[in-house]
Amino acid sequence: MTDDTTSDDVRTDGSGGTGIVPPDDETPTWSERKQRTQGLSRLTYEYFERARREDQDLRQQSDYVERDVLGFPAWPHEMIRNLALTSFFVGIIIFLSAALPPHIGPPANASSTPAVILPDWYLYWSFGLLKLGFLNPELAILGDTKLLADRTYGVLANVVIVGFIAIVPFLNKGSARRPVEQPFWAAVGMSGVIFSITIAALSVKNLLPMDSKLLQDLTFLLPFVGAFITYAVLRTMREGYMFNLNRRYYRLRPPK
Amino acid sequence: MADEFAKGFGIFVVAGLGWMTLAGWYRTPSFEGTQLTGAPPEAATVYDQIGLFLEPVLFWFMILGPLTFWILIPAFERARDSYAERTQ
Repeated sequence: MTDDTTSDDVRTDGSGGTGIVPPDDETPTWSERKQRTQGLSRLTYEYFERARREDQDLRQQSDYVERDVLGFPAWPHEMIRNLALTSFFVGIIIFLSAALPPHIGPPANASSTPAVILPDWYLYWSFGLLKLGFLNPELAILGDTKLLADRTYGVLANVVIVGFIAIVPFLNKGSARRPVEQPFWAAVGMSGVIFSITIAALSVKNLLPMDSKLLQDLTFLLPFVGAFITYAVLRTMREGYMFNLNRRYYRLRPPK
Repeated sequence: MADEFAKGFGIFVVAGLGWMTLAGWYRTPSFEGTQLTGAPPEAATVYDQIGLFLEPVLFWFMILGPLTFWILIPAFERARDSYAERTQ
């Protein structure tokens, strides 16, 4: 590659000569390639450099709209990645459906009630909220009776949870791109995830080999434990995190 | 680093799918009870023998392969680097 400094063109690693492709007499052999320890990082660098150069060439054409955001064209860059991911999952589905065909059980008997009645697993959390009768206080002022029936209490618990989930976007509209940017809200999210799991476990408490009282306590304790751990870990990670770099790369975020 | 991740991930996927398939064939007596971990049947043919032999092999390969490439090798490399820095 020539090293003349007289040219006014913007000089990059790819300008001049054969670009990032080495000349024929410099093409490394396979044994030389295997001895390189920086192969992938070098390849990544060359890939991004090539993409950046293509981007620069496009910018210099008159009909090209200047962009603020560093990005790569959908074709072929993004599409090749998407095709790889799609092939991976479609391959898994085809393989499993061919090798492990699903079992077809006996027909349902409508005249007999099964011993265990449960909703589908993704509704266990709501089913668990119906079993919060132990939180329904017996009020002394009413003569140790409950103000609400347990079933009413459970339905209202669903209203509270769904209401909280509906309120969260108004409390924090999520301008953070990564959890490390806002550890507190990441901790709130993790506690919600853990609570959805523990409340689902509570809904099948009859099937769990576990003390019922302990399960009830853990249902509400584990979300807080998870929140504290998440907050601590993310606060520790903040030290090495480059907020400015992230802001530069994602300028399309909505204004505050 | 990313190379090691791809190797471990490839082992995890291939061995995991193979183990799941063989366990589904040989160690799932009924879909109502235990699945993938049920009691293996007597091997009737040589294919069954191969399958029953490969099932635990693939299971442990699925666990030990990623463990090696994601944890052991990077830890060893890092330990070697820090040792080399210390001796300098």
